[in-house]
Amino acid sequence: MTNRFVCRIADVPQNGLKEVEAEGGLKLLVASAGGEFFGYQAQCPHQDVALCEALYDGSVLTCHMHLWQWDIRTGAPIGLAEAPLQSYPLAVEGDSLVLGPQPSALDVGELFRGLDSATLAKLAGLALSESHPAGAVLYSPGDPAEDIFVLDAGRVEFTIGRGEGAAPDGFMLKKGETFGWAALLEGYPQRIAGARCLEDSTLMRINGRAAIGVLEGDASAGFTAMRRLSGLIARYLALRGSG
Amino acid sequence: MRIRINARNRGFQFDAAPGEAVLYAGLAAGIDLPYECATGTCGTCKAKLVDGRLHDAWPAAPGRKYVKPEQGEYLMCQCVADGDLTLEVAKFVKPLEPGMGRVAAGAGRLRSPALLVHDVMAFDVELDQPCDFEAGQFMVLAAPGVEGHRAYSMVNYERGARRLRFVAKRKPGGGFSEWLFGAASEGAALRVFGPLGKATFSPELANDLVCIAGGSGIAGMMSILARAVGEGYFDSHRGWLFFGVRKLSDAFYLEELSALRARAPDRLSITIALSDEAVPAEAAGRWPQLAFDQGFVHEVAGRVLKGHYKDIRAYVAGPPPAVDAALRLLLLEGKLTADNIRYDKFS
Repeated sequence: MTNRFVCRIADVPQNGLKEVEAEGGLKLLVASAGGEFFGYQAQCPHQDVALCEALYDGSVLTCHMHLWQWDIRTGAPIGLAEAPLQSYPLAVEGDSLVLGPQPSALDVGELFRGLDSATLAKLAGLALSESHPAGAVLYSPGDPAEDIFVLDAGRVEFTIGRGEGAAPDGFMLKKGETFGWAALLEGYPQRIAGARCLEDSTLMRINGRAAIGVLEGDASAGFTAMRRLSGLIARYLALRGSG
Repeated sequence: MRIRINARNRGFQFDAAPGEAVLYAGLAAGIDLPYECATGTCGTCKAKLVDGRLHDAWPAAPGRKYVKPEQGEYLMCQCVADGDLTLEVAKFVKPLEPGMGRVAAGAGRLRSPALLVHDVMAFDVELDQPCDFEAGQFMVLAAPGVEGHRAYSMVNYERGARRLRFVAKRKPGGGFSEWLFGAASEGAALRVFGPLGKATFSPELANDLVCIAGGSGIAGMMSILARAVGEGYFDSHRGWLFFGVRKLSDAFYLEELSALRARAPDRLSITIALSDEAVPAEAAGRWPQLAFDQGFVHEVAGRVLKGHYKDIRAYVAGPPPAVDAALRLLLLEGKLTADNIRYDKFS
């Protein structure tokens, strides 16, 4: 299988931006930075603003709408930005850019991105890829909390309470978003919320106990992952507010 | 009518009165739903209909270009529930911070409308109920029987305000603006909603202050300067205000700006930028408190601010091209961090 064509190198201004449609219809932002090329989602993750209209100085990308910023080399958020850019790694073939090998949901996941590659490979070895149709229930309150999930594609909604009293409690829609955290915590053997697919969805399922085992074998990665997990929990607590 | 909002992080419920826009009902219920202009242009308050029926009060709103109607997407500032409703908002939403002025619908009367220059009018709204707002915030105004509502920044600053001052630029084809410049008369009844907007100033800020305004964007800057001067902010911080207009004859509030500067002459500088003419010789003599320069407002600001970008907080307002050029200056030349640049996109 040949790599999908993105654009000609000559079409991307030096230290500039270009929006392109890659072979197959995927819209991408291509950025040139000091002779290297980076591919990202074409639209700002905040609102549907075209990032090819962003401010760009060759290293930091700034969406003109609300000044969300990212490091062009990694897509990591800076300053006000609340989400990373989804990356589509590019490769050079002759005078063209093509789509290189694409990262898995685990690679870009909220907890595990950027960890040591040997540790990531061990986690990937534990991960089971699953597809579920819209409406499928992943878990219900009271179910044993054994696995964590990393969203690859689709949309998953959460509810608290049961039956008639069930109330919406948020939803996830981005590749790499992670839920079912209780499986990584001690003393939370049961689900407190329900999770259901709103759309046909693909997920990576990882046994929590086995993941902890891998992270215990790489203390640095374990620390990073647990720090991020605390951050996620704190964020959800803060956003819950008093209302 | 019961409105349910499914946000990324949680669900919310509140009631809306018949005819009330979903956004306004949610904000008045203390929920910080996403919005920026609150008047149908920016697209920030996009939501997707999950269940129930609603109607769109302004199907031709310019902000509709940001939504996909075939996928059931609407602007919450324009949609009105026809019964119980569930909407999905693909953003993180939290309750409004306590302490900010309460956001509410109210009523008032038009007072003292007067032309400042040929296409800009100043007017007051006398409120039925006093209102607390932050310097830099705006209100949405509507007149019964007049199509459309418009957002205007407050010019004055006071706590428990009974009277709000605004400036409006004449917008051909703008329902409320046409009414204001035409049929409006002293004492006309108005509906108000607010205060809104997050480009606010308060003296707890410890930075030097930069205000860059084009045209009627000066309104919110007057409020910011009024608060800063009134509370002695320039005793310990510097401030620069840049006010861009085409010609000197388009400029207004020069007496008011002179009076503000006279109260902080050592650390506050105010420059009027004229884009379409050389600075007339009489300007400096007539307004000795003010500086004048030729160029677009971002060009003039760039000349004056060179070497002064450290530890500044910038506020920007005006027509979109002026705002974009100012943002470019502050980010790319000034290397300001994004959290030190505040503006509300009205269009």
